[in-house]
Amino acid sequence: MTAADRTDAAADAREAGTQLRPGLWETINARYPGSMIRKESFVRQARLAKPLTACRLSLVSSCGVHLKSDSPLDVGHPFGDFRFRRVPSSARHDELIIHQLKYPHDDADLDINVIFPIERLQELRDEGRLGGLTQDFFSFIGYNMDPEKFERTVAAEIADAVVQQERADCALLAPA
Amino acid sequence: MPTVSVTVAQDVTEAVKVPRAIFLPWPMGHHFGVPFHKELQRRVVLAALDLLENAGEPGTIVPLPIKWADVRREAKVLTEQGTRL
Repeated sequence: MTAADRTDAAADAREAGTQLRPGLWETINARYPGSMIRKESFVRQARLAKPLTACRLSLVSSCGVHLKSDSPLDVGHPFGDFRFRRVPSSARHDELIIHQLKYPHDDADLDINVIFPIERLQELRDEGRLGGLTQDFFSFIGYNMDPEKFERTVAAEIADAVVQQERADCALLAPA
Repeated sequence: MPTVSVTVAQDVTEAVKVPRAIFLPWPMGHHFGVPFHKELQRRVVLAALDLLENAGEPGTIVPLPIKWADVRREAKVLTEQGTRL
């Protein structure tokens, strides 16, 4: 068997639904029923086409952060809020606020970079470690009780914005 | 498009099958550490970016084994010193 054959065999095994550790699917699915991911789904991996020093990076987070000048998303709706907010990548801690009830953000209220590392990314861009940042970053509330609607709305709209409008080369995802 | 996730819930991240992620054994809401600890926040971001450039298999989850107890200790010192690193 050649090295290439072994690679193909491994890919087939994962495509056959063995990408997960044994038993994991049952555990998670009991806690979060109705996931849009199927057990047999196979995740592919896009590779960077150029070095990070030439890439424009975007940041997407479910932490519910937005500009203080924007209206907050609806944290009280029993099914969640299927909208998102744009956060200018030039924003500083003092301009931002978190509206989210589903995770502790006391520390992030003191320093937004604890959950949304916007200032650290600005520094890496300034140092030339990153080619650039998209004009806007993206945030939404990570509490949505309708995964299919979420995929059609928030997920699709953010993906379109990141890829087509912002022309990002890659994205850092911070699920809160 | 290439993405990298930063997670504190390894099992959930495995189940939703992200292309690549780093895992920190820290509490919810603290994916990048503690307030004003710029050095630690930067370390997490750089680890994620490194994985973005160098990930191997699809679904790779790389642990960053920094103990929360150590992070808390450093956070306490920062607070006592009134210093913002």
